[in-house]
Amino acid sequence: MTPTHRVLTLIPAYNEAPSLRTVVADLRRRHGDVDLLVVNDGSTDGTAALLRELNVRWLHWPERRGVGSALRAGLRYAARQGYDVVVRLDADGQHDANDIARLLVPVYVGAADVVLGSRFSASHRRRHPRPTQRALGALLSMMTRRTVTDPTSGFWVLGPRAVALLAEHLPDGYPEPELHLFLSRNAMRVVEIDVEWRARLHGRSSLTLTRLVKAAARVALAMIIVPLRASVGVTRD
Amino acid sequence: MTDRVQVVALACSVLLLLLVLELVRRRRLSEEYSALWILLAVSLIGLSLRRDLLDSAAKWLGVYYPPAVLVLMLVAIISVAALSFSVILSRHQRQIDRLIEENAIMGAELRELRSDLTISTKNERSDGIEEPARAAARER
Repeated sequence: MTPTHRVLTLIPAYNEAPSLRTVVADLRRRHGDVDLLVVNDGSTDGTAALLRELNVRWLHWPERRGVGSALRAGLRYAARQGYDVVVRLDADGQHDANDIARLLVPVYVGAADVVLGSRFSASHRRRHPRPTQRALGALLSMMTRRTVTDPTSGFWVLGPRAVALLAEHLPDGYPEPELHLFLSRNAMRVVEIDVEWRARLHGRSSLTLTRLVKAAARVALAMIIVPLRASVGVTRD
Repeated sequence: MTDRVQVVALACSVLLLLLVLELVRRRRLSEEYSALWILLAVSLIGLSLRRDLLDSAAKWLGVYYPPAVLVLMLVAIISVAALSFSVILSRHQRQIDRLIEENAIMGAELRELRSDLTISTKNERSDGIEEPARAAARER
């Protein structure tokens, strides 16, 4: 593994203009030299105008296509521009930029391909996942033979192997739970690290009931299908 | 034994075959997707010419009313057709996804190129580096 990595911070955004401004300012303050890519997933709230003003790099399409597609495009951009490590966090401000350095360590020392920030790991006694998240976590833990405490975490650090894999094969739609199965199927080394978790700055979760039911159906299907699929493998140069 | 229904069935099947072929000829239907329909039309023609095939199939299956076998077959064929459309649709979806993503990436790369160009042109101006470099940059 090369001693130096090029790191891209990737933020998928859908109608989160007010908090996006804070998140970007926060990242700039704590990691001045950070390379930022915002993927605007068809926002209708003026995110597009904000992006021009924020002086970040951005990808954009006119209609909403889901966070999975946004991340896949961002990862492909990263791979093409020669970034080999990607930090992904949410635009709603629930993740703390201070945690990034800690999450990067396992990838830097070559101990993990993927590091997931967990909001509910054992050291966080005060916080409790919702019953659905707990059940999903237990199920995923069983299927991946690894402890999954936060199945829907949106705070990731991806190492070179994971960037190459997911730039081509990241699941569509609501990819977080399915990702666990996919990573396990493709023999990626995954580490969970507990992170700070703040209440979202503005607005509510994009997870409405309909979307939740659809996501649950997809996850249920993925649980049966993904382990049966062949491992896609990563092409190495 | 020729009766009216057989003639009508034969005519309809032949018409279907001709329609499919005409659509392919006009490039309204691609060769790739026409195979299923040609197959369907040809087997319908075969069945209208040889009604005894239907009867023996019904006997073999243990169905007392032979036309029910015809309906069963049609339902099966239409289901397969619908499934194959879903497969085609999924493939198109994947291709469109990929295109939109690629397009967005190229848009970003183009923006970055342009801003690099603006910066370098400005620098050249302030450095007093002259016309040829700027012209070359413009051409690019």
